[in-house]
Amino acid sequence: MPLIIKDEYPEKLFREDGKRLDGRDKHELRPIKMEVGVLENADGSAYLEWGNNKIYAAVYGPREVHPHHLAKPDRGILRVFYRMATFSVFDRKRPAPGRREKEISMVITDCLEPVLFLELYPGTSFEVFLNVMDADGGTRCACTTVAALALADAGVPMRSLVTAVAMGKIDGELITDLSGIEDKAGEADLPCAMTWFNEEMSLLQFDGKMDLEEFSNCLTLAKEALTNIHEIQLNTLKKKYIEIQEETKGGENEQ
Amino acid sequence: MMDIKRVISTIEKNYILSNLKKGERIDGRDLWEYRDWTVKSDVIASAEGSAEVTLGKTKIITGLKYDVGAPFPDLPNEGVCTFMAELLPLASPLFERGPPDDQSIELARVVDRGIRHADCVQTKKLCIKEKEAVYILFVDIYVINYSGNLTDAGGVSALTTLISSHIPEGKWIDGNLEWTGKYLTGDTIVNEIPMVITYGKIGDIIFLDPSLPEELVCDGRISISVTEDKITSIQKSGYATFSLDEIKMLGKKTMEIASKVRKELNLWQYKRDK
Repeated sequence: MPLIIKDEYPEKLFREDGKRLDGRDKHELRPIKMEVGVLENADGSAYLEWGNNKIYAAVYGPREVHPHHLAKPDRGILRVFYRMATFSVFDRKRPAPGRREKEISMVITDCLEPVLFLELYPGTSFEVFLNVMDADGGTRCACTTVAALALADAGVPMRSLVTAVAMGKIDGELITDLSGIEDKAGEADLPCAMTWFNEEMSLLQFDGKMDLEEFSNCLTLAKEALTNIHEIQLNTLKKKYIEIQEETKGGENEQ
Repeated sequence: MMDIKRVISTIEKNYILSNLKKGERIDGRDLWEYRDWTVKSDVIASAEGSAEVTLGKTKIITGLKYDVGAPFPDLPNEGVCTFMAELLPLASPLFERGPPDDQSIELARVVDRGIRHADCVQTKKLCIKEKEAVYILFVDIYVINYSGNLTDAGGVSALTTLISSHIPEGKWIDGNLEWTGKYLTGDTIVNEIPMVITYGKIGDIIFLDPSLPEELVCDGRISISVTEDKITSIQKSGYATFSLDEIKMLGKKTMEIASKVRKELNLWQYKRDK
């Protein structure tokens, strides 16, 4: 039976005043809030609110590999588990992991691997758990961004951070950071991620229609957005240590 | 990282036990004291009701989704309310991936029974059209951080989720389901506030709200669910045994503690407008 309120999308994704439905300009990001060290049991953790997306990330490792046969004698392995809460979407998601979740887990694993020095950890695994508690478009990008933060928080040696954003096209116009509605009703969706040590794309998917010129503009605009998000990531990591530094300073003064 | 072990050393167990014998806990509480509670409702925009509850460092997020379906043939005018719990592997190195294990099924079952037998969820109000269409509510409990006593935190989060619910009200017109433009809220769905209270037992000492190290060394636990004047469900787990006098004493104690916590948390404040 259908639900009582239907999941319908408007015909136009721009308002009369030229802004997007949530009031943003074409290349404006949604509000982003990040925090690291939020889960005490994990080796590293991070929490991200990106618009209505709410995501927890935890890193465990290096630790023993289960099942054992996955272990590699010459290097460590990275395993990412992307999962959505049943209540994070409009229609209740089935509790068991679906094909979409498995694919996204794999895409994020491949995206993060280039920044890690896995060859230094033979026979072990790093496990990254990503739980989307509330979803509103661009969760794979948000998850990649928060996973990089959690890995850094765990003290895992990294070549650089990784930052991701979803670009897209709605009503014929290129836009930055697709929301849930824009993702479903728009014309194109281009999630991409950058590894900063070589400034190259480490995650790239595309669905929709764009001509070559639009596509190349889109990548240029993506770099701009990624730079801004990378800045927030760096500040979030620094903030934790600045806080610790201030606490210890306070302690010294008391003595 | 906090040191979590599957096996706790004898010396640590003896330390916890010797403290308990003096009526003290390793975190400074007395035997009948809860850790601090925090309750936030309406934290998930996509859910029709949600809550984030912390008890000490234990953290749980619960959300509600609804579906419309045919009722059970033996209860043609009653909706259905189901509970699921997931112990996310990010919450503790003790939790593993995979289908629900014994611990998560027990958590969902104990929370479910505490609420079901209290006549808390008004399933008759969840009927849209007899024999044809009823609401099916899914209350899904996600453990975000494990630091002991998931049952009590799970119970409060499930109840807060139901109280904060905001479900589109449907009516049945000529075989079709239509939205009235209004919402069903917590005061329609929830009748009363049952509380589930958990005690740990080591040797012959019983204490309220076991923390993680206490939970790992204790011989057993007992969870008692009560309404304002009745016991509605009990679950004993672990290998501890309880004497008749202890059980009677705990029954009485639970009533007192439940009414105190009920007052302190004041869960009706999380009800939303229609």
